Order: sequence, then structure tokens, then C-alpha cells
Amino acid sequence: MTQPLLEIRDLHIGIARRHGADEIVRGVNISVEPGEKLGIVGESGSGKTLTMLAVLRLLASPPLRVLKGEILLDGEDLALVDDARLRQVRGGEIAFVYQDPMSSLNPLLLVGRQVEETLRAHGATKAAAAARTGEVLTQVGLADPDRVRRSYPHQLSGGMIQRVMIAMALATSPRLLIADEPTTALDVTIQRQILELVTSLQEQTSMAVLWVTHDLGVVASLVDRVAVMYAGRVVEMAPTEQLFARPTHPYTSALLQSLPGTGSDHRSPLHQIGGTPPDPTRLSGGCPFRVRCPYAEDTCAQGEPDLIDRGQGSLAACWKDPSQW
Amino acid sequence: MVDAVLSARNLVKVYGGRRGQTQVQALTDVSIDLERGRTLGVVGESGCGKSTLARLLVGLEAPDSGSLLIDGDTIEMDERGSRVSLARKIQLVFQDPFSSLDPRLTVEKALGEVLRVHHLHVGSVAARVTELLAMVGLTGRFAARYPHELSGGQAQRVAVARALAVEPEILVLDEPTSALDVSVRAEIINLLVRIQDELKLSYLFISHDLSMVRHISDEIAVMYLGRVVESGRYDQVLGTSLHPYTAALADAIALPDPVHERARSAAGISTTSLQGQAVTAGCPYAPRCPRVEETCRRELPRLAEAAPGHLVACPVALRRG
Repeated sequence: MTQPLLEIRDLHIGIARRHGADEIVRGVNISVEPGEKLGIVGESGSGKTLTMLAVLRLLASPPLRVLKGEILLDGEDLALVDDARLRQVRGGEIAFVYQDPMSSLNPLLLVGRQVEETLRAHGATKAAAAARTGEVLTQVGLADPDRVRRSYPHQLSGGMIQRVMIAMALATSPRLLIADEPTTALDVTIQRQILELVTSLQEQTSMAVLWVTHDLGVVASLVDRVAVMYAGRVVEMAPTEQLFARPTHPYTSALLQSLPGTGSDHRSPLHQIGGTPPDPTRLSGGCPFRVRCPYAEDTCAQGEPDLIDRGQGSLAACWKDPSQW
Repeated sequence: MVDAVLSARNLVKVYGGRRGQTQVQALTDVSIDLERGRTLGVVGESGCGKSTLARLLVGLEAPDSGSLLIDGDTIEMDERGSRVSLARKIQLVFQDPFSSLDPRLTVEKALGEVLRVHHLHVGSVAARVTELLAMVGLTGRFAARYPHELSGGQAQRVAVARALAVEPEILVLDEPTSALDVSVRAEIINLLVRIQDELKLSYLFISHDLSMVRHISDEIAVMYLGRVVESGRYDQVLGTSLHPYTAALADAIALPDPVHERARSAAGISTTSLQGQAVTAGCPYAPRCPRVEETCRRELPRLAEAAPGHLVACPVALRRG
């Protein structure tokens, strides 16, 4: 058994109150193997972004804080490292690409300078940083890297900026790339280019990728394994093909059915889930999906299930086996 | 002859151009017909002019040239009376319900305001508000709520109810599900289909989600850089698409089907092409087009009929099928 590259163990994130705490992320376990592409799917409020931010200790604290749990990079507890080591990890071993590319770059600095700055912060000499900048900007498929370097962010399109962000993330040859909905704001054609780009770069460099999204299409085209989050927990974990062919949690199954497919009848009612995603701080015990679940029983109100092995690599936090649905 | 409830003829809209600003040609000669009681889907990338089209159709802005006909009558965009009567017939539902609802108004006040502005408050406003909420599947207790007390799906229902308050004939829906969580998109689409059938509404549905557009639309128009490049019945445009751009757009979508997606990467099919450069002559799609021919760079292709009702602005596709 190899050691995972990143291991998130029983992570709880919340807002500490005088008595107890409001938990938003409620015990997440995720591990990423070296070179693996893992997708994290969930709706807004499911805790997926907070989990990723916690990895790099980027939570807005106060009020948010890690209440419990460990985050290990190659066995090293990131909560315990000093600031100097943390700076090495951030942008060095783990790179982060955010959803909104336009607000991730400094509008007052030339793009090239910002990429070089990242490299300089990780110990490159001025000349080496300049050379590497040209290299990565070319690598991400920008047609005219020299012009891009001499541009300000507002002079580039959204797709180009997102390529710059990926170039910046890759510049230091990280071992893990965390991307939080990096294509949500982009057109489908640009999204396709970014997905192809990340796939080919991942094959060349064998870095691991942790891709956060709500788009099941992106998951299907990019990742090897998927963690589905709901109300602050992972409710299903499965290899990508398995997840789509044989979902083992009713939430995943309902999400897949709600999509209009090429097979669905034109204008016929789509499968609705009903209800709304719960507020994780106001759960009443039991399985948080039970109020929207078509298969809920009395037992579902009593306890919240942990991930149960459903075979063929699928784990689901549901008392019922899919054969009993 | 189709019974068009809304027709746009040769709409042109150019932004900028004053004091040395760069001119942006948002719409270059766009004509569309929306048939009564049906849905016209409009798709295209950002910058193709689909939102500009929506703004012109609801009278938020006036076109530089071209005309707008509702029920066969030309709308004079510079007359206030004309604009008010336009608002009674055509309403817009925006992408993000939270930024289109006033945070300081309760649902009842937001809907009541529309009724008062248009002098539609014969009898009790409260009763009409309850009726409107019922239409979108919300109970009367939502009337007292503020937008922040609503979920995304509920807020979008309120936005639809507000649009319905003036009893319009046409709704322009600009990405109505894009800002919503995946699990609530289906219910909003189902709601839109249901009220369309009940109230005999006509929809202009703008979206970049092709699977949703295909699901809800009777007709589809594909826009590229301010022009319609292909239009027709939904199964013609997205089933037997002819224009290379429509094909590229459909191919770029990441489908929720890993088998299909793996086959794509194995086959090495790629829609990757560079962003279009500025085009001075010829087909605007020529710089990105895989099927480009010499004439494409010289002559601007016009929409021509490939099959009954199926129009395409590409002579190459027309010739080769």
C-alpha cells in the first residue's frame, strides 16, 4: 500500500460558538494518490470549497476554523507546519486555481511579472524565473506567449486568463493541483480546451489533480474517481465509470436522473429531486438527505450512516443497498 | 406563413465608437421569428450577442437599425407609450434571481409594485399576489418573505411570478437555470414548461446549456459574433446540424457519460481551435473553421434553406451536406 499524497482525515470545519460550534464540514475523509485525478462534486453549501481551502489553511478565520481532523501531505500534518514551510507548500507542492480567474490576478501588474513572482517566491533566480515563465505560457497553449507576458489582465479574455492561472500553478511543478470550479465561468468551447489541456499536462507531469465542480459532465470527462458531497459530508465515493453506471447513493442517482439527456423525451417533465439542500448547521439528526429521498425509512431518521462498501469500488453513506431501492 | 407573435427584422446594435473608443458590433443583421405558444432557444458563446438580443427585444435598449414587430405591429422604440405597451406583452427573467429582486422588498411588495405600475390592481393586490405565487407553485406564506429568506429555486419562482404579473404573451428567459444548483434546475424547467402550456406563453430561451435548450425548445437559433448562423427545428439544429460552428459547440459539451468522454479522448477528437481573430471580410467563423475554403474568406455567407425550415449560413455545408 503506497502512502497517499494527500490525506484528509475526519475533517470538521465550522464556526466556534461559546457553547459548541456550528459545523459546516462534518467529518470528511478524502485521500488522493500520487498522479490520481479526483473529482469533488457537490452543490453550493455542501462544503466542497471549504474543504479545499482548509488544505492550504486558507479558511477565513475567524469565524471559520478547523474544529477537528488532520490534513496530511505525504504524512506531514499541514496544521503543524511553520509559516516558512507553509509558504513552500502553497504554490510549490500544492497549487490552487480558483473559479473566477479575473479576480485572481493583480490588475495593476503585467501578467508575466505575476508568473515570475510566483517562481521567485519559490527560490528561482531572476533569469530562471523569466525562462520558465515563457516555457509554461507556451505549454498551456497560449498562441503568443510574449504578448501575454506584456499584457495586463484586462487585456486578455477569460479563457486566456484561466490558462495563465494554470500556467502559474504549473510553473513550480506541483505534485498536486487543486482546481475549484475553474471552468464554470467559461464557455463550453473554452472549457473543452481547458479540460484537454489539464488532461495532457497531467499525463506529461503525473501530478495529482483535485477538481472541484458541480458539473457532472466535467467529472465524466476528466477524473478517475469521484467524491460526492452533501451537507458537509462525503456521501458517495466511486470510480467515475461506476458512479455514472451504478450510483449507490440515492442523492447521486437523483442528480443523474435530473439531467436532460439525449434519451429524455422532448419537453416531458424532468426528474425532480424536490426540496432544497439543507443548511448543515441546522440538521436534525439522521441522514441529511432523508427528507428528499424517495427510499427513506424510519431507520434513516435515527442515525447518519458512514460510508458503506457497495462493491466494485463504490462506497455510499446510505443504509440501503441499491438493490433494495 | 407562421403565426409569429414576435419578429425581429435586421437588428443592428453597435456599442462604443464615441471619442475614439473601439466599436463593438454586438448584433449584425439579426432576424428572428417567435411562433405563438412555442419556444425559440438561442445558443452561442459569450459575446455572440444573445444577451444584447434579449435587451433589444424587451425594450431595455433601442437597436441602431432594424425593426421589432409584436403581433404584426411595429414597435416604435423611441415612444414611451410604445415601450409601456411592449412591457405588457413581453417580460424578461434574468439569470440570477437574487440580483434581480430588490433585497428590501418582500415578495408581496415586489409583485404588488408591478401591478400598481401597470394599473392592474383591480380588487385586492394581496389576492392577486397569492394567485401569482400559486401559479409558480409557491404557497401564500411566501408573500411576506424577503429575498434572503428564499432558496435559489424559490427566488427564481418569484422572479417568474413577477414577470407573469402583467399577463404577458412572451417571456424572454436569459439563462434562467444557470445560477441554480443542479438539483433544482429540473424543477424550474418543469415549471416553465407547465406554465407555458397553461397560459399559452411564447418563450425566447437563451442559454449556453445545449442539453437544456434541446429539451425545452421547439426551434433553435445558433448565434456567432452577432449573427444567426443556423436555425431550425430543435432536432434539425442539434440532431442534424450543418454549420461547422454548431457542430463544434455541440461537440465541446462535456456530457455526463464517462464512456462517451473516454472514447473522445482515446480517439483524440479535439475541438481546440484558437480564438477567432478580427474578420474584415468573408465568413466570421472562417478563422476557426476546420472546413474553411477559399471563398469563405472573401464572401459573407447568407442564411439559406437546407431543408424546410432549416437555415444555415454556410455554403460549404449546404453543398456537401
